[in-house]
Amino acid sequence: MAWLADGRDLPGKLFIVEGIDGSGKSTQLDMLRKWLVGQGYCVAFSEWNSSPIVRTITRRGKKKQLLTPTSFSFIHAADFADRMERQMLPALKAGAIVLADRYVYTAFARDAARGVHPDWVRQVYSFAIQPTEAFYFRVTMDESLTRISNGRPKLKYYEAGMDLGLSKDPQESYKLFQSRILEEYEKMIAEFGLRVIDATLPLLAQHDQVREIVQPHLSNALLAERTGWREVLAAEVLEGRYLDEIVAPGGQP
Amino acid sequence: MTEVRFYGHGLPDLKKKRLSGRLVVLEGTDGVGRSTQIALLREWLEKEGYAVGATGLKRGKLAGRGLRQAMRGHTLGNITMNLLYATDFVDRLERLIIPALRASFVVLTDRYIYSMIARAQVRGVDPVWLRNVFGFALIPDAVFYLQADVSHLVPRVLNARGFDHWESGMDFLRAPDYYESFVDYQTRLLAQFDAMAGEFGFVRIDANRGIHDVFQDLQAGIEEVVKDMKPPKQPKEGKKDAKRAK
Repeated sequence: MAWLADGRDLPGKLFIVEGIDGSGKSTQLDMLRKWLVGQGYCVAFSEWNSSPIVRTITRRGKKKQLLTPTSFSFIHAADFADRMERQMLPALKAGAIVLADRYVYTAFARDAARGVHPDWVRQVYSFAIQPTEAFYFRVTMDESLTRISNGRPKLKYYEAGMDLGLSKDPQESYKLFQSRILEEYEKMIAEFGLRVIDATLPLLAQHDQVREIVQPHLSNALLAERTGWREVLAAEVLEGRYLDEIVAPGGQP
Repeated sequence: MTEVRFYGHGLPDLKKKRLSGRLVVLEGTDGVGRSTQIALLREWLEKEGYAVGATGLKRGKLAGRGLRQAMRGHTLGNITMNLLYATDFVDRLERLIIPALRASFVVLTDRYIYSMIARAQVRGVDPVWLRNVFGFALIPDAVFYLQADVSHLVPRVLNARGFDHWESGMDFLRAPDYYESFVDYQTRLLAQFDAMAGEFGFVRIDANRGIHDVFQDLQAGIEEVVKDMKPPKQPKEGKKDAKRAK
């Protein structure tokens, strides 16, 4: 079950993942999605900072460095609201499973790390749907840094928290910023009942833990329509490995 | 502005306790003549020797254009739209209004958080949430509420630019046409403004009257607000200028 802010419950299920950059949460969410789709469920997906309506504003703010902690906070709240109103809420009302890569806890952690009042951020996001389960992938600073430095050429200004003036060196600033965020996450585990997953375990071991927590919620989740191509897959015992690339999560090719 | 006070939690980066400028808000529904009055007031205050700044909704550098673009699409949800308005507003507050107040400007703003709250409440958004969200807003030195009846608004809007999708509440009302929708929507807005007048200390100005009468009332009100600012006397003629130089 997922709940509306006013306490009414929604027929759908909302599972969300949180963690600092390099914690492997997106990988885990993807594994969860593939498993759920494979089980025949109707799955929708929503990713932090991806609303087309807010994108131009975000890009402008970052490029011209116009952002303050408060306006930064608002941009992300607007992005989240748009995705909630147009993607997550309708899907949950229809009884589908919604997977979200980052949720309000990302805002709580980052905004607090930028000096915005924690109570205020929680008030701003008080319209958010209560997730069915919220996973926190816990990893140490050092581990996340080694993972990230492999795939990322250069840290961006806001990503490194350069707007906070913690250090003139982007690497150093990033480290300080991320450790503040890490502290905020740790504080939220008890506050919001986050499910902690040790993100240093092997991928499949983490995935098994996630499955175990998700499984009991699936009894009456909406199944995806048995569309033509699904029937072909079933009849021919194929996995649809390449269909995956052209099919929107839970949707049609 | 004598003291820095906020409606709620305030802004994290503003450590100042006092700002030397004055923040004056003109509020009122669509078509009531706010922008005309601001243009007149701005000129008058400048003539009196004050440095004047003017701003209004959807005009910020960060989010102004993005918000206008998003509204053209007519697909914005209520919460999203409020947060976009808030983004634009906090951008103007932090990067325009507060620096101007710091530099002793009289800042005239065409609408403030009250319009945003009114239009959201009419659409059923939670009043407590709205007040929390806009808790970062600086409490202005004066809020003048230009109050006019819907019957006076209709011809003004028709003469100006015609009915607009959002100003007529077409996004949520189910009236058969723009005219009926506008009347219904503006009537509801007026009721919201009326209810907020006490809560936020609006000074009511009867805007059913002519432009000049309204202007004179505003002048009188603003004179009170700026009276202890003592603007640098501006030499109006060449003679006085010459005297000063001596």
